[in-house]
This record gives sequence, structure tokens and C-alpha cells, in this order.
Amino acid sequence: MSYHLDTPVLTTDRLILRAPQAEDADAFISFYATERAQFTGGPMTERQAWNFFGTEIGHWMMHGFGMFAVTEKGDDTAIGIVGHWYPRTWPEKEVGWVLFDAEHEGKGIALEAARACINHAWTVLKWETIVSYIATGNTSSIALAERLGATLDPMAAQPKPDSPCLVYRHKKGMA
Amino acid sequence: MSDTFIIPTLSTERLVLRAPGLQDAPQHAAFYASDRTNFVGGPLTAELAWRNPAMELGHWALRGFGRWAVTEKGNDTAIGIVGLWHPMGFPENELGWDLFDGATGKGYATEAARAARNYAYDRLGWTTLTSMIDPKNTGSAAVATRLGAAFDYDFDHERFGSIQIWRHPGPEALT
Repeated sequence: MSYHLDTPVLTTDRLILRAPQAEDADAFISFYATERAQFTGGPMTERQAWNFFGTEIGHWMMHGFGMFAVTEKGDDTAIGIVGHWYPRTWPEKEVGWVLFDAEHEGKGIALEAARACINHAWTVLKWETIVSYIATGNTSSIALAERLGATLDPMAAQPKPDSPCLVYRHKKGMA
Repeated sequence: MSDTFIIPTLSTERLVLRAPGLQDAPQHAAFYASDRTNFVGGPLTAELAWRNPAMELGHWALRGFGRWAVTEKGNDTAIGIVGLWHPMGFPENELGWDLFDGATGKGYATEAARAARNYAYDRLGWTTLTSMIDPKNTGSAAVATRLGAAFDYDFDHERFGSIQIWRHPGPEALT
């Protein structure tokens, strides 16, 4: 079987969002070794993070959408992973965001990338609903969800019922 | 971004080895939920079991080789996963075989593994292959023996713990 992965590229004022590729694995693995990954399934070992990175790519192959590598214009280095995430057990389709290093925070980068992905989900992927699953205590992510106009939906189905998270629901058509 | 790569289809007397995909998720999930996966890192939650087929595809994208979904000729339902595997944390390229419930005892693992090994030697030009086997997994050791492999050395894997590395005969020994 021939896989032709024709993945979209999203461009914003300052960023280029492209599909992750093998060259991004090290940045992804380094992030998942740190405490910064505590709200997104980490920290984890190099071995686990490599598997997870493989899953990110496999997600694109299965669904035709997935998480983008976030790069700054003029520099193809991945500084985060933002995009569309819908593993089999997720009750709804998600837009998620991760910036690898603290130095990239506070500049509106995650906001800019997430807004582009939400727009893409409504207008191109034609999603009917969008949520963001956020760990309790992840205050910067909660603040970002609120800046995006999302609101807490306490009645929404949980992706991992054994360890409930906050479900932020994005407003239809809005990014 | 555009990227093309091929996952070849292999045929044996009774089996077709094809690219894994989303359609295999239910079989994967059932297998990885069962105690039969004690020797291969399971049992897993439904969420992690989903990640596995995605990871199988991601492995192909990252390494250029991977494992196939094994099917019986005339029936596209996956009955196992067999192929070439080298995630981070493995000491060498591995030939692995996992047959799902109901598919064992028919020589399928041997037949599929032999096809995958031939592919590694004839098409990829590999000169050696190993299989990682839990010493308690006598069924898998029997398959390895039938394939002409023999115990080579002990390895301490981060997740599986102490495990045996068996070595297959090289390409010249098989001709």
C-alpha cells in the first residue's frame, strides 16, 4: 500500500504549522522528559516519548488530520505541537496545544497557533464540535482556552473517566 | 507538506501481510485488553491499545519499515501483527510476531515471520535479525526455534525487564 501523506500547512502572522516529521522527534522527546509535560501525559522516558511521537504521525495517517509541528517563520525548528487530536477513546474531537520551552511562552504563540487550528477545524475539517481537554491545575492552558472564547462544560463526557479533566468547549464558528 | 512512502503487501501460501490501519483497531484493542499480552507489554487500557495501531503506522513513517497486519487469504480481518520492529529502547532490529486470539496453533506465526524475514534480507539487505522473547513465553520460543533462531544474550528492557534476545540465521545460512 502506498501512503501519500498530503498534509496541510497553516500559516499565521508569525508561524508556520506543518505535519510533524522524523527530524522533530528529538525536540518532542526532550520536552516529554521535563516536568513541563506533567499536564500532557508526561514526564516520560525517551523510549515512551519516541513511541508517542510515532503515534502522532500514525494519527495523521489514520485520520488525515493530526497535531502540527509549530515553527516560527524562517526557522523550521519545531517549538511545539498544536492541532487536532482524536484517538479512538476520545468522546469528542479535540484541539490541543503544547509549547516545548518556557522561553516561547507569554508571546501569544500558542494562542495564534490554536486559533488557526480551530478555524481550520470549523471551516476545512467541518467539525461539529471542538473541545479542549485540560488537566486540573494547568492554569496557563486554562487561561489560553478562555482567551480563545471556550467555556467550561462540566457535563461533557470525559476522555479518561478515571482521572477527570476540565473540558473546555469552543464556540461554534469562533476562534 | 507532501510525503509518499510504501508499505508493501507480502503474500504467503495462506496469508496476506498488509499495511496496518484504523480498521484493525478493534482487533488490536481486544488483543491488548487480554492477559495474552502479558509477554508483549499488555494488558493495556483501551486508550493505549488505540495508540498501538497508530504507533505501528508511525513506525513505518519514522523507520521506513515496520510490522504488517496479518490476514488469512480471502478475509481482510487482522489476525495478528508480524514484522520488523525497532522502536527506541530495542538493542537491534527485531522480527516480532503477535497473533490474536484464535489464530495460534496453525503455524501462521512461523509462516508470516518467515515472509517478513525474507523481506528484511532480500529487499532491505539486512544481514542479521533478532527476536526479543520473554523466557516464560514458551509459545514464542517454539516459533523462534522453528525459524532456526537460537538464544543469543540477555537484555534488560526498560519496560519488559529481563528478556532474551534470540538471533536468526543470516541470509547466507538460509539460501
